[in-house]
Amino acid sequence: MSTSADRHEAGSRGGGGGRRLGLRRLALLIAVAAIAVAGTREIAELRAYRESVVASEALTRRVPLSTYFDGIRGTLMDAPVYVFDSGAPGGSVLILAGTHPYEPASPTMAYVVMENIEVSRGRVFVIPRASMSASSLGMLGNAYPAFFRVKTPWGEKKYRIGDRETNPLDQWPDPFTFVHYPSRQNLAYQDSRNLNRAFPGRPDGNLTERTAFAITEMIRREKIDLTVDVHEASLGYPVVSTYVCHQRAEEMCMMAAMILSAEQFPMKTETSPKTLRGLTHREIGDFTESFAVLMESPEPFIDKFVGPMTEDLMVTGRDEFEQTAADRGLLYTDYNIKTGASIDYRVARHLGGAAEIVKQMGEFYPAKRVSASWPTFAEVMQHGVGYFLHDPSKADGRRVFFN
Amino acid sequence: MILVQEVIHQIYFVMSAIVALLLLTRLFRRKSRPGLAYDIVYVYTIVPFLLRALHIK
Repeated sequence: MSTSADRHEAGSRGGGGGRRLGLRRLALLIAVAAIAVAGTREIAELRAYRESVVASEALTRRVPLSTYFDGIRGTLMDAPVYVFDSGAPGGSVLILAGTHPYEPASPTMAYVVMENIEVSRGRVFVIPRASMSASSLGMLGNAYPAFFRVKTPWGEKKYRIGDRETNPLDQWPDPFTFVHYPSRQNLAYQDSRNLNRAFPGRPDGNLTERTAFAITEMIRREKIDLTVDVHEASLGYPVVSTYVCHQRAEEMCMMAAMILSAEQFPMKTETSPKTLRGLTHREIGDFTESFAVLMESPEPFIDKFVGPMTEDLMVTGRDEFEQTAADRGLLYTDYNIKTGASIDYRVARHLGGAAEIVKQMGEFYPAKRVSASWPTFAEVMQHGVGYFLHDPSKADGRRVFFN
Repeated sequence: MILVQEVIHQIYFVMSAIVALLLLTRLFRRKSRPGLAYDIVYVYTIVPFLLRALHIK
């Protein structure tokens, strides 16, 4: 409500006073607009930036996800699918990465696989950025950097950090409540933009649901035997350092977790709850013939109680508050600030975890055996992730791609 | 259905632009509350609508 003094002041202005007032407001507007543009420059850069990958010589084809469902063609969600086909009969595996981009050990693991894979039996499909749109913004309210860098023998490689949900520039507005299809389970409104709450997807749904449908269609048409959805989790989340498996994949997960825990690194296993809808480990298992497995590595960066969310925290995973939580027994996995949970360790875990579950599928179902190799847990721990990433400027241009 | 969603999506961008324009008009043409503090509030409030309308954020 305006006061009589305000009205009197406004009413008494005119001529030079009015011009001065107008100039002051214009100057203020220009100043704030300049700050806004400067502040959003990094956001615009993040949306435009494309990550390079030098695919291994085992690459046989690269197709857009819209090949399997036309409803996402022309959108940012039309992610590339990389296929490594040995030509020899065997099973088929999908490595689904970047479902939640702010868990970046996932796409980084996919890039290490793509740059180094050798396949002698069966087929391996890799989607390194399942949610391209979600990788094009940061999380609202979390002031963290847009990018992180991996040191390599030839320089630095820059990767997007991104968010968890589809960018509102691509899908907006959110509903009051998101009703999952087809279970009709009510979920939080922002889950309408969460790819890992949208499976199995629907062809006439929102963009996120259509993307989930395209991935599900790809799994059906390509007869994928094993889907490995790669994620990261906060250390205060019970399923960290865990395989979460559809009940049909339960036994192979248990065997893989036991072997990993005995020989390489601690790994738990858990069966996908039947009432938790929309996630890959539930819906891919229910709506396709594929075995569905989700892997979580420990990512201190996304714990709610850590200190500043810096690039250093993303890369090293060292945080004093995380250590305090560990000392008080509040975490669901081991943590030591001296070693942290570096990007090398997290990517190495995923590489080892994926290799072991693929191996176990072959043990349980010999006809579905896939013989593929990529850097091991021990190799990445010894040399670091950067050692396995190649220089795009010196590679054969036909094998260099941008995501 | 997809077309309807796309139309609604674009309507929201248009609505953002309209709100930004309305605030811009009120910044320069208002009779009441002419103080500096109100000017700052107006220009600050315009920003999110402008960024959304311009497909920046």
